[in-house]
Amino acid sequence: MSELTVRNEIRRLRQEKSTMTQAELARICGVTRQTIIALEAEKYSPSLELAFRLARALGCNLEEVFRFEEK
Amino acid sequence: MFLGPDGWLGIDIGPVGAAVLYAALWLFVIHLSKHSEAAFPPDASLTERQAWVAVAFVTLITIHWLNFMAMLPSLGAAADQISNPASRRFAINFGMTIFAWIVVAGVIRSGNREAVEADERDLRIQHAAGRVGSGVMAVLIIGLISGLATQPEVFSPWLRPLSVANGLVGLLIVKTLTETVYTVVRFRRGYA
Repeated sequence: MSELTVRNEIRRLRQEKSTMTQAELARICGVTRQTIIALEAEKYSPSLELAFRLARALGCNLEEVFRFEEK
Repeated sequence: MFLGPDGWLGIDIGPVGAAVLYAALWLFVIHLSKHSEAAFPPDASLTERQAWVAVAFVTLITIHWLNFMAMLPSLGAAADQISNPASRRFAINFGMTIFAWIVVAGVIRSGNREAVEADERDLRIQHAAGRVGSGVMAVLIIGLISGLATQPEVFSPWLRPLSVANGLVGLLIVKTLTETVYTVVRFRRGYA
């Protein structure tokens, strides 16, 4: 079975759609800025709840922010 | 002082050395309270800062404990008494270190009142660290059992009730040290 990983577009969407800073996005989602840094670097996969909060904060659907693909 | 003999080349480094060390520790606490931003890696969250502080203080406690355990065999029958020179010294050092740890942790927390404390990534790292710490403790216990069964003569200087009790305290210290070191490593790897 091929290895799958969660990829995301948080950095691009944050900069393109909302021009939000990492700190602002972190505050809206109730996490630390360090978690946003780790998410954007794809070093951390969020919980389902945080994924929905991120999508809502960025004004997107979940599928626009996250995708599940082969490594 | 903390680690060495009470005297060296005719100089008393026991109580005087300890006083110097405590003074240096408190100067460090005051310095940290004024320059806490510079004391930690950039972008470190409150939880990561607390983890770095924990690494420093648990390492100090581990050194106290190793020093204490090394002294026990030389005490002979006195090692069976709860209050002996080595245990008194360890208790004072341990108490002072815990007190300084609480003060430093409080200083860092007060400087980050707005920080998020229940971040899910922080909690996930802490849970993973707990599992690693428990695993290391299990390995140490198995190693200790094997050692006692196969080479009892190596452990015989510590086979006294209070020495065994202090050895078990050491297992908890090593577990905590493993958890804190694992936590800071995981935090650092998250930004690489």
